[in-house]
Amino acid sequence: MQENKNALKVAVVAVLTAVVVVFTLVVRIPTAKGYLNLCDVAIVFIAFTFGPWSAFIAAALGTALADLISGYAQWAPISFVVHGLEGFLVALIVKQRADVLVSWPRKICAGLVCVATVSLGYFALSVLFISTVSVAAAEIPGNIIQSGVGFVLGMAVSVAVKRAYPPVRSLAW
Amino acid sequence: MTTNTFVAGSGWLYRFDPRAKLLLMVLLCIWFFLPVTLLGLILVVLLIILVGTLNTGRKASFKTFMSILPMLCIMVLFTPFNVRDGKAILQVGSFVVITEEGLLQATRLAWRFIGITYVCTLLFATTVMNEVILSLRWYRLPYKGALVITLAFTYIPFIAESFSQISDSHRLREFDEKQRKKLFDRVKDLLPTLTSVLVAALRSIPNLAMSLELRGFGLEGKRTNYHTLSAYRHSFTHFFLSCMIIVVLYYIARVR
Repeated sequence: MQENKNALKVAVVAVLTAVVVVFTLVVRIPTAKGYLNLCDVAIVFIAFTFGPWSAFIAAALGTALADLISGYAQWAPISFVVHGLEGFLVALIVKQRADVLVSWPRKICAGLVCVATVSLGYFALSVLFISTVSVAAAEIPGNIIQSGVGFVLGMAVSVAVKRAYPPVRSLAW
Repeated sequence: MTTNTFVAGSGWLYRFDPRAKLLLMVLLCIWFFLPVTLLGLILVVLLIILVGTLNTGRKASFKTFMSILPMLCIMVLFTPFNVRDGKAILQVGSFVVITEEGLLQATRLAWRFIGITYVCTLLFATTVMNEVILSLRWYRLPYKGALVITLAFTYIPFIAESFSQISDSHRLREFDEKQRKKLFDRVKDLLPTLTSVLVAALRSIPNLAMSLELRGFGLEGKRTNYHTLSAYRHSFTHFFLSCMIIVVLYYIARVR
């Protein structure tokens, strides 16, 4: 029985990691300063549906792999930490028993934590390892927009997927 | 969708043991933060670019540079104006615009950024992803972790293909006059596509879990395992070289 559970865990995390990679790489919405990707949508969806550990591993691995694949390997360790933390914290805040709906104050709190983790996380780690305060600060507005839009879309997608595919609840661990 | 960053080639970097290459990459990234002279830093980065160009070709090297060019421009344009210490180079009235210290800091940051980028890119351009995972296994990455990465790489093209098909079919259902939409509407229209893609991906999980069980995943006597990197000869020499390169570069370029 334990082996069955382990196989399911590996399968869930592997597919969710692939989902995060695809959401990061396939959809890119151009903006004035660069582009927005949908990695936060996938991360928030996983956090709302699968719990903290799945969200942490899939978000961290998925975004780091996406950076490696797209030729931005220098960002991979930073993405690993920031997005892993983002998924873990959001999932911790919204985690509750399966039959209870997540309250709005919790959702708002999770949203704020999501936006703060991404924008401040990238800012702090960029300043430490890659650039300067002014350069890293220029990235903050883009990160706020991306994570904010990602959070709202991720929440909506989570509700829609639970309706469209109810067995998803049995896959969470 | 391409999930492979490998650039085909036969240079000496391709024959270098991937485990030693991984170690060298980490050590070089640390080296860039050591107290070394600016001239030393620039020369080392130029050497890395030269090695990369000789091994992977001019096209791959240029592509790497182009990918970081926007970030470099921001770095060079912003940094000098934010440093107020040191001798003034450009002054408007009593206001110091650019200082020598600011320019030096911007130059150091830019070259360090180029160096880190080229080092990281070179590893994945000269090593197939399979060997990167095997190297990580050699560095004690747990079996489950390696399996998750391998399976994720298998599923990325499948999910990307589903994404493209589903978004195409959703687009076919739209009217022509709706094609010029605002950003908000375009983002909102993504919802059905994203939901469909996620459901398609999630449906594959039970099958994958079942196939893992059938292959005896989690049993004591494993029915599947990873290869080892025993085909690489002179591993000790490569490891020794990796460490020596760092020591020699630091000795030459250190601040005296």
